[in-house]
Amino acid sequence: MSSAAPDAPLDQAAVLAALRARMARLEGSGRARGEAGPVPVCERLPLPDGGLARSALHEVLATAPGCGAAFCALLLARTGGTVLWIASGRDELLAWPPGLARCGLAPANLILVRAGRWPDALWAMEEALRCPAVTGAVLALAWDTNRQAGDSRLDLTATRRLQLAAEAGGALGLLLRPNTADPAPTAAVTRWRIGPLPTAEAGAGLDEPRWQLELLRVRGGTPGGPWAVTWRAAEGRLDLERGETASAARASRGASA
Amino acid sequence: MTGQPCLLPADGLGSRRFLALHLPCLATDRIRRAEPDLPTDQPLATWAASGSRRVLVAVDQAAATIGLRPGQALADAQAIAPGLLLRPADPDGDAQALQTLALWARRYTPLAATDPPDGLLLDITGCAHLLGGEQALLRDALTRLRRAGIAARGAVAGAAATSAALARARLDNPVVVSGIEAAVAAPLPLGPALRLSPAMLADLARLGLRRVRDLLDQPRAPLARRFGQELLDRLDAVTGQRRTAIRPVTEPPDLSVAQDLLEPIITRAGIDAVLDRLLATLCARLRAAGLGARRIALLAWRVDGVVQEVAIGTGQPTREPTHLRRLFAERLERLEPGLGFERMTLEARATEPMAAGTQAGLGIGGRSDTAAMAEALAQLLDRLAQRLRVHRVAPVASHWPERMVAALDPHAAVPAMPAGWAAPGLPVLLRRRPEPLKATALLPDDPPSLLHWRGVAHRLRWAEGPLRLEPEWWRAHPDLQRRDYYRVELASGVRLWVCRTGPPEAARWLLHGHLP
Repeated sequence: MSSAAPDAPLDQAAVLAALRARMARLEGSGRARGEAGPVPVCERLPLPDGGLARSALHEVLATAPGCGAAFCALLLARTGGTVLWIASGRDELLAWPPGLARCGLAPANLILVRAGRWPDALWAMEEALRCPAVTGAVLALAWDTNRQAGDSRLDLTATRRLQLAAEAGGALGLLLRPNTADPAPTAAVTRWRIGPLPTAEAGAGLDEPRWQLELLRVRGGTPGGPWAVTWRAAEGRLDLERGETASAARASRGASA
Repeated sequence: MTGQPCLLPADGLGSRRFLALHLPCLATDRIRRAEPDLPTDQPLATWAASGSRRVLVAVDQAAATIGLRPGQALADAQAIAPGLLLRPADPDGDAQALQTLALWARRYTPLAATDPPDGLLLDITGCAHLLGGEQALLRDALTRLRRAGIAARGAVAGAAATSAALARARLDNPVVVSGIEAAVAAPLPLGPALRLSPAMLADLARLGLRRVRDLLDQPRAPLARRFGQELLDRLDAVTGQRRTAIRPVTEPPDLSVAQDLLEPIITRAGIDAVLDRLLATLCARLRAAGLGARRIALLAWRVDGVVQEVAIGTGQPTREPTHLRRLFAERLERLEPGLGFERMTLEARATEPMAAGTQAGLGIGGRSDTAAMAEALAQLLDRLAQRLRVHRVAPVASHWPERMVAALDPHAAVPAMPAGWAAPGLPVLLRRRPEPLKATALLPDDPPSLLHWRGVAHRLRWAEGPLRLEPEWWRAHPDLQRRDYYRVELASGVRLWVCRTGPPEAARWLLHGHLP
């Protein structure tokens, strides 16, 4: 890097950071549009950039529909702009704006798209990610039917196209799909698994649901988890639970070492 | 078409020019076009039942020359011409074919109208010079119709009814100057010129009135008393004394550009190239006029006289060729070139004023101001809406779950959220149709303790509720019943939104939503 003075003593951390930044620029992933940085997930999670990179595709495997949709909604809400919710297939489950608004996703920012056929859904997602005016888009695979079919169609080629589109447009791309035991590899930058955790007491789960988050894959980082997190809707915050902090910190040290 | 405004010539009668086309054998020509294997040397006719008789309705040229005529009994006709080909008459199909031909005739003028049952009327004022004069335009139209297998005669005159009468009554396809309508109409026979009913024609013939001239010589008042005002109206129309309006098949577009092709094009690449050129011209014209298009149609004239149309709509007025190009790209596959397109037209059907400043080329990565972003978003929504259901949601102040959101146009502004709309504890996903469940509760009004969902029994860790919702009696259907909603957590941690509905003795449980 030209900004790093060549005669200064070699600072390993600084050199590494500079190289990483250069790699990211070359790959195009995480290219910030304007001053918008990565989308924060949770303060103490050991992510390479401290959050989810924009201009990239991320994959969310959900063991239950509700928690997956809520997680995607709160990530989209944190992109701070117009987002598209693309539902593929003839799904019985509809994204419901009153509940999404509770996750911070205001109706004014939300555009719902319904694509009956899979190629249309992929095309819509690609167009949305390529558009500079869109800050985030989620492609929600049908939950009830054709779980296996959706899986096989979401292959490396399709996700690579989506990843390239996200790099061109700068939007945060999310793939929300039902959890499977051994998902096929995709070109997504990160892969998460989310599932519900039982709440401590009756009623506490209404506004503060507990989830189990797992980072299965991350490009340029170390997978981690599972972590138990609590979504505090009133404050709009995702909290890592107390007992998990130590292990997360350990994982974070391991990642940086 | 009905429902559209009549277009009266705005200025004097003398300044307008009308081309009338008469298609004497439309019904049979249409059948031959649809069934190309029919032997061309045998006469063809259509028939229909008239009471208990079966009579000929339309005959082609060959049948007419051997003495067959419409109205003849079918048995007689078959005795005269044993090889006669027969098809049942289809008046609706004929009307449809005439409509299609009127659309085709829009290649000459935007003001093309049908003249049922077997004619077309074109207002060619100011259009003739494009093809080298009225004579050349008439010849071009007749040639193209003949090539498409449709016999036609035509005439050009200064009044619509006069040209129609000339086309029907004379065989030489005349072009007459304006102002002498009465003189050219005078020698025409009454039947084809005024299109009177056979009964009235017979009555007139009994009085020795056979030509237009004979009627003109008569005093008008007795004629009106004897035959009604309609006869005089038709007479005045044919002699150019009374203006008649034509009713174009489609409203004339705000702007249109056309491209004639020397060689018919078949390939997608060719169509794309022509479209590009047309779009560039149209957008330049829109810019010059300070307009943006909301609806644009591409019309393609096929060699065999079929017109195909592909239309797009945009949410915001636009005149950006690349954007329109992409919208068309989704639709062009619907065109069926067949033997090729010989002419393509791009019409801006609906336009809106558009300030020069709001036109922004979608600079990739260049401009980042809000106007450019809004335009990029509008263009994205246009593209998506060509294929898919795209909508925004309007929050509705209601407590009934199905009524809390309303679909909005994607370009519309979203109203503010009403108070209490995004209440805590609402599901993020709602089932399109609530799914029936079985639940076990200790007492009928108690929260459930066990749920049977898809054949699996789930023990509940807790259930919270009920949240009792009454239907909106001021608008709801009478069969809606009150619902008691519970938020439940299964032993696995999955949180669901279930409700109990129906009377207490026959309560049903439904799974309606998924909580975070």
